[in-house]
Amino acid sequence: MNPVIRARGVRLAVLGIAAICQRAYVTLWRQPVLIISTMLFPIVYLLILGNALNRQLRAIPLAVVDESGNALAAECVRGAMALESGRDLLRITPVADRDEALRGLRRGRFRAVWVLPFGLSRQGPTPSFIGDNTDRFSFDTVEAALRDVWDAASAGTGSGRVEPAVRLEAYPYLDYLTYLAPAVVCLAIFMGSMVSGGLQVIEDRMYGYHEGYLVTPISTGTLVAGHIIAGALVAMLAGDVVLVAVLVVTPVPVAGAAAVGACLVTVFLTSLAIAAVWFLLFARARRASVLRGMFGIINALLFFPSGALYPVESYPKWLRAISDVDPLTYGLRALRDVLLRGANPSADYAPWVFLLTFALVCGILTRVLFKREV
Amino acid sequence: MKIKSNPSDSMAQCLKWLDDPVTPPPSIEAEELTRTFGRFVADDHLSFTVAAGETYGILGPNGAGKTTLIRMLTTPLPTTSGRARVQGHDVVTERAAVRAAIGTVSQAVTTDENLTVHENLSVQGKMYGMWGRSLSNRIERRLKEVGLWERRGQVARELSGGMRRRLEIARGVLHSPQVLFLDEPTAGLDPQSRRAIWRMLEEMTQADAALSIVLTTHAMDEADHLCDRVAILDLGRILCEGAPETLKRGLATGERVEVRTDREITARDREAILALGAVNWRSADPESAEFEARPGEGIGRRAAELLEARGYRVRHLTISPVTLEDVFFSYTGHALREA
Repeated sequence: MNPVIRARGVRLAVLGIAAICQRAYVTLWRQPVLIISTMLFPIVYLLILGNALNRQLRAIPLAVVDESGNALAAECVRGAMALESGRDLLRITPVADRDEALRGLRRGRFRAVWVLPFGLSRQGPTPSFIGDNTDRFSFDTVEAALRDVWDAASAGTGSGRVEPAVRLEAYPYLDYLTYLAPAVVCLAIFMGSMVSGGLQVIEDRMYGYHEGYLVTPISTGTLVAGHIIAGALVAMLAGDVVLVAVLVVTPVPVAGAAAVGACLVTVFLTSLAIAAVWFLLFARARRASVLRGMFGIINALLFFPSGALYPVESYPKWLRAISDVDPLTYGLRALRDVLLRGANPSADYAPWVFLLTFALVCGILTRVLFKREV
Repeated sequence: MKIKSNPSDSMAQCLKWLDDPVTPPPSIEAEELTRTFGRFVADDHLSFTVAAGETYGILGPNGAGKTTLIRMLTTPLPTTSGRARVQGHDVVTERAAVRAAIGTVSQAVTTDENLTVHENLSVQGKMYGMWGRSLSNRIERRLKEVGLWERRGQVARELSGGMRRRLEIARGVLHSPQVLFLDEPTAGLDPQSRRAIWRMLEEMTQADAALSIVLTTHAMDEADHLCDRVAILDLGRILCEGAPETLKRGLATGERVEVRTDREITARDREAILALGAVNWRSADPESAEFEARPGEGIGRRAAELLEARGYRVRHLTISPVTLEDVFFSYTGHALREA
């Protein structure tokens, strides 16, 4: 027996994994640009995107053409003015002539024109809405608000007022910034796993570092496991730092130590699954240009289908199919359950099982594909 | 087709060596070792042996197959055919055992530039199953041996080329391997750094008589200085093998003559010099000539006298003993290679 080799078997594997993790962490801390890209970028993303999409529409210029002049039209104008003075949704300009209002719309002076035609009544003619549909979001918002005004005004002049349907919110009000918080934790995990783990192997191949460890006695399985775990730990660190940041920045309710624990477990398992899938995708890659070329595609394939920005229920079937096997979908679901819905950690068991299974399958496939050759 | 090793081979080898305890088993045995890349044959049926404690040099021009050979012996590159054993372990079927027995310093810089000197060795030590105090002690010893202990906290990218090479060597021998592979260890270094590494390697072989070293190099003086035996490899084949002195004697010429004149040496005068006994005539330009001659016959001096008698002015005359480089050129020729 070679007297120099102190450990063998499992102990050698553990030491090998520890060595790979040590290298990954030290490398991360010695390169501040990596810390910025993995941790700061998601927080900036949250602040910019969250605030950009979070704001209510304000002061949309609307031309109101009252051709009718009857009581119902006056009620409609009052309703529209209430939207201006209350929600500050509109900036109303009364315009006497319909053609002049439409010219103003085409020149960009108005975003919409609301025409109350001669003889306005519940039975008809009813108001006409002509809007700038190049901005669909504003168009839909103003159209819906004015329809409500018409419904209210026309109901009030009839025999009996229609009571609104009952609407209850199951959870406390969340703005978009808060809704986005779990998504940016997943984004941090995605970025963190990108700069370490299996992708480190590509960089090692490019610079020739890999020749140093390919000739050591640790097994190929240990090499694969080490790089996946190292990637997962770096990604978890990024995810946890961003998790703490979003808890500070956004009004996410924290439901005790169990919820925090569930979040940490979710972050780790998501990191493990993402690190494993990165390594699997690049198990045979030898050039960093492959990574650079593929990054955008993988970002699109993993991050956007996860439901990070939009509900997955809005996706077409083919996109739902991607979403169903995307580990970020499950990580995000588990984080939203705990952070936004205050669910019991046991609600996360199913996503956790999926993430762990996914990581194991990717790890096994990577072990098969990975060639311990120069 | 790969030749598979019989699992009982290692045991049989051990039993054979137990019968003859005086002769230690060879560190490396290669038999018909071949590696091809498509149609290109990088190494072509190479057979050689490296004894325990021996420093064995592999010389050859670029593309000769040196690095491919090292990679097969250190396991990252599979063989195409043939077999090789390192410390009695087959490089194809017993890779883990081979890896445990060897240390490598590859042609590329493989230490991580973001890690400190100490961290690089710490990471490597763990991959060899070392940890704790014994690892710390070993790192300290190796860093002191290569003169980098004072720089243990310095990040590797801040080291000079020579220091980085010494770090690579410290890492290669950290776990006290029985066979050390050095692939062009002094390439690109200044003379001081080269000499420092030579001294270091000599001290290592003196401290551990059983340590075998396989060294590839382009530097003939390095091979001459360090190696017990050398093999000259070209186009994937071993052209000659032996101790440097033996190879030089085997060249049948003991002197190398360089002469430079004030004008072009004509063909007639060249023939006259060759008639004196000069061999291996070559010239970098028309006014100069370089040739070899048997020692003790004064052929170099007589050639200069002949040229002056024929109206040349001899500006420069050097007569020196043949070197390993002459041996190298005599086998590989002077033509530039594509690789």
